[in-house]
Amino acid sequence: MTDIITKIEKIDLPDKDRANIEDDLLRHIAGPSRKYKIWIGVLVFIIAVGAFAYVRQLKYGLIVTAMRDYTSWGIYISNFVFFVAVSLVGSLVSSILKLSHATWATPLNRISEIIAVSAIMSAAIIIIIDMGRPDRFFNVFLYGRLQSPIIWDVIVIGTYLVISFLLLFISLLPDIGLCRDRLVELPGWQKKMYRTLAFNWQDKPEQFEIVKKISGILGIMVIPVAFAIHTITSWLFATTWRPGWDSTNLGPYFVSGAFMVGASCIIIAMYFIQKYLRLQEYITDKHFDNMGKLLVLLSLVYLYFNINEYLGPLFRMVGVEGEHITELFAGKYAPMYWLVQVGGLILPITLLIFKPFRKPFPIMIVSFLVLVGAWLKRFLIVIPSLQHPYLPIQDVDESYMHYIPTWEEWAITLGSFAGALLIISVLIKLFPVLPIWEIKNEKKLIKAT
Amino acid sequence: MRKNQIKQSARRKFFKTFITGSIGAVAGKELYSTGTTNDANGPDEKITALSSDGKLIKVLKSQVEHMHHAPVTPSEARKGIPGKKFVLIVDLGKCRNARKCIEGCEKHHHLTPDRPFIKVLKMKDNPRSSYYWMPKKCFQCDNPPCVKVCPVGATYKRTDNIVLIDNNRCIGCRFCMAACPYSARVFNWGEPQPAEGYDKPYSPETSVPSKVGTVEKCDFCPDVLRENKLPPCITSCPNGVLYFGDANDDAVTNGEETVRLSELLREKAAYRYMEDLGTEPNVYYLPPVDRLFPFKDTNAESNT
Amino acid sequence: MKTIKSNIYQRAKILVSIAFLMFQFSNAVSQDKKAIIDLQFKEKNDQKFITGTAYDFENDSIGAPIEGIDLFFYVQRTFSLLPIGDRFSTTDENGEVTVEFPADLPGDTEGNIQLIVKIEDADDYADTSATKELRWGIPTILDDSESKRTLWAAGANAPISLMILTNSLIVIVWGIIFYIFFKIYQISKV
Repeated sequence: MTDIITKIEKIDLPDKDRANIEDDLLRHIAGPSRKYKIWIGVLVFIIAVGAFAYVRQLKYGLIVTAMRDYTSWGIYISNFVFFVAVSLVGSLVSSILKLSHATWATPLNRISEIIAVSAIMSAAIIIIIDMGRPDRFFNVFLYGRLQSPIIWDVIVIGTYLVISFLLLFISLLPDIGLCRDRLVELPGWQKKMYRTLAFNWQDKPEQFEIVKKISGILGIMVIPVAFAIHTITSWLFATTWRPGWDSTNLGPYFVSGAFMVGASCIIIAMYFIQKYLRLQEYITDKHFDNMGKLLVLLSLVYLYFNINEYLGPLFRMVGVEGEHITELFAGKYAPMYWLVQVGGLILPITLLIFKPFRKPFPIMIVSFLVLVGAWLKRFLIVIPSLQHPYLPIQDVDESYMHYIPTWEEWAITLGSFAGALLIISVLIKLFPVLPIWEIKNEKKLIKAT
Repeated sequence: MRKNQIKQSARRKFFKTFITGSIGAVAGKELYSTGTTNDANGPDEKITALSSDGKLIKVLKSQVEHMHHAPVTPSEARKGIPGKKFVLIVDLGKCRNARKCIEGCEKHHHLTPDRPFIKVLKMKDNPRSSYYWMPKKCFQCDNPPCVKVCPVGATYKRTDNIVLIDNNRCIGCRFCMAACPYSARVFNWGEPQPAEGYDKPYSPETSVPSKVGTVEKCDFCPDVLRENKLPPCITSCPNGVLYFGDANDDAVTNGEETVRLSELLREKAAYRYMEDLGTEPNVYYLPPVDRLFPFKDTNAESNT
Repeated sequence: MKTIKSNIYQRAKILVSIAFLMFQFSNAVSQDKKAIIDLQFKEKNDQKFITGTAYDFENDSIGAPIEGIDLFFYVQRTFSLLPIGDRFSTTDENGEVTVEFPADLPGDTEGNIQLIVKIEDADDYADTSATKELRWGIPTILDDSESKRTLWAAGANAPISLMILTNSLIVIVWGIIFYIFFKIYQISKV
C-alpha cells in the first residue's frame, strides 16, 4: 500500500495542492485492508443466507412467507418502496443541490449517485423476489398492458436506473482517467478496467465540454424522472380502494418521505466514509452541519404531508377507514406507529435544530433513527391497510389476522440490504469516492469550466 | 320322474326370473318417470348457436355435435360464449348458511378449504337491523379493477360478462388481489393439492389443475355453461338461494324455478353490493325481507 | 309336510307377482291416455296470443277436446324453461286455453324463440308436449365491447390518450438518453 504513495510522491507535480488532493482521494483504492475484507465477508455471508431462503421460497412457493390471502403484500413490497425512496437521493444531491449552486455539496455527488444506483438495483431485485412466478418474468415484456400501474413502474424504474447510472458514470469519467494515469501499482485487471472505462479520456477541454453538457442535461432530466418514479410507485397503492391507500395525497407523501430518507442515508454514508477513509478535510463538520439543516427542512416538509395524510380519515372516521386509523393510532399498530412518528420524525427535527446535534457522530445516530423509522413507516403503509378490506374477514385461520414475517422474509430482506451495501462498498473501493475533478474545479485547480 | 322334476324346477326358475325381472323393469320405469318430472328440456330440445355469418340461431341439439368434451384452450378462452351475458342473483331471504354451494364448488374445482371461491359471510347492515348470511363470490364486474391493474393481461373480461384468469400467464404479483375491493380472489401460496382423477389439460375455463404462485377466483364455471348446464353451486343449494341465467334471455333459474330477470330485480328491489364503488358488478342481491328462516348463528350442519 | 308348505309358499309368491305385474300393466295401459296439443297463434293490437287446444289422441287419430286439463306454456331459455302466462292455464269446455305472450321477451339475434307447451303430471293423461318456433322475441343485439378501448381492455386496446401520453414520454426521455450515449462515444473520439 505504501508503494502507491511513494510512487505518487516521486512524480514531479507543479502544484502541490493538486497532488495532495489526488493523493488523499485515491489512497483508499489500494489493495483491500483487513477491515474491508471482514466487512465484505459479513455482507457476502448475509447475502448467502438470503439466497438460501430464496431457494426455499422457489421450492415451496410463497407459503414460506407469512403472507396469506388478506395480507397479500408484505415486507417485500414495503422494502421495495423503501429502496425506491432511498434511490431518490441521487436526484436530490446531484441535481437539485447542484442546480441551486450549493457548492458545499460537491464532495457528496459521487456518494449520492452510488447510493442511488445500488438502491434502485436492490429495488428491482426485491420486486422479482416478491413475484409468485418469477419463471414468467418475461411475460411482463411480452404481454405488458400499458393500462397497468405496474407496467408504468417497470418503465420508470428502468429509465431511472439508466439515468442514475449515466449520471454516476459521466461524473466519474474524468476520475477514471486519473486512476488510469496515476494508479500504477494495481492488479492488471483493475488497470485494464480503468483503461476501458476511461473512454480515452485525455483531460482535453473538448471532453470536459461534453461532460459538462451531459451532466447538465442529465441533471435536469433526472428531477422529473425521480419525482415520477416515486409518484408512480405510490400509484400502486393509490389506484386501489384500501383504507390508507385510497388517498390523493399519497404521491407527495411518498416523494417527500423519499427525500428525507435519502438525506439521512447520505449523512450515514458521509460519516463512515470520512471516518474510515480519513477524509475529514473534505467532508468537514460544516458539511454535516449543512446536511443537518437540509434534513430538518426535508423532515418538516414530510411532517406536513404526514399531517395531511392522517387528518382527513381521522376526522371522518368512515367505516373501514376509521377502523384502520384507530388501529394505527390506538390499536395493534400504535406502538410501532408512534415510535416511527416520534422517534423517526419529530425527535430528529427537534434535535437537529440544535447545533451540537449536527456534529458528525450525533447526526449519524439521528440519521439512523430516521432510517429505521422510515423502513418501519413503509411497513405501516403497506400491511395494516390490507387487514381492513371492505368485507369482513371471517372463517379463516387465525394466522390470517396477523402478519409476522417469517425468517425467510427477514433473511431475504437483510440480504437485499447487504446486497445494496455490497454494491456501494465495491464501487467505493474501485473508484474515488469523492469527485476529484469537481473538487479541483472548485478550487480552480483545473480548467474545467 | 327325475327328468320331469328337473324340467319342473327349470320351468319354475325361468318363471321366477321372468316375473321378478318384469316387475323390476316396470317398477324401475315408474320410479324413473317420477324422478324426472322436472326435466327442463323438451323432446326436440334446441340450443343457441352462432351461425357462420355471426347470427345467433336456435338449432336442434341433436344436430349439433358436442364439441366441448375437452376444455377450451387458454387462447380460445379469451373469447366469451357468444351472445351470453351471465348474471347471478342471490336471494338473501333464503340463505341459511348451509354451505352446500361451497361444497359443490370445492368438488368441481378440486379446491382445498383454505382457498374458497365462495365465502358465506355473516353480515349486519346497521346496529339495529338483523344479521343475515351473504354468499359472496366474484362479482364479474363490468368495470373490473382487477383487470385494469394486471400487468400481463392474465386476467381479462369476456363478452359474456365473465372475468377469467389465465394461470399460464399469471406472474403472481397479487396486484389484482390488492385492487379487488370485495376480497374475491385467493392465491395459491404453496403447491396446491393435485386434482384427483383429473387428466384433462389446463384451461382458464375450468381453473383446474391449480398452479402454485398464481391467483384464482370464482369463474362462473364456463366449462359447464358451454353445455347449457348450471354451475354446481346453483344446483347444490338446498334452499334455492342462487339464481343464474343469461341476461340476454331475461330469465334466471335456481334449478327449480325460472323467473323473468327484469321482474325479479324490479319487484324484489335488487341491489348490488357497494354500488357506488362504480365497479358495475353482475351479481345482484335481493334484500333479506320476508325471510324464510330466522337467523341462526350456528354452523352448517344444522342449517340445511 | 315341508315340501307341501314350500310348494304352496312358492305358488303364492308367483301368484302375487303375476297379479302385481298385471296391475302395473293395466295401469300403464289404462291410466294414461294419450293427448295431443294443437297451437294457434294470433296477433291483435300489438298483443300476441297463443291458444292451446288439448285433444284426445287414440290410435293416431285426434279425438275429442279435453276439458279441465292444465296446459303449461314455456319458452326455452339457456338453462331452463321460462313459464309464461298464468300459474295454471286450464282448458275450457272446448279444450282451449289462451295465454298472452309477453311483449318484451328477448329472442336470438333474429328474434326467434322456441315455445313449448306441455301436459305434465295430469291425472289421466300421459305427459306430452308441443313445440313451435316463433319470431315473437325481441332481437338481441350482440355486444362487441371486446374491441372498445378501455382501461380494462386487453393491452392492445388501451385508451388512445394513455398510449399517446406514455409513448411520447418514453420516446422523449429515451431519445435524450440515446443522445447521451452518443455523446459519451464522442468523448472517446476526441
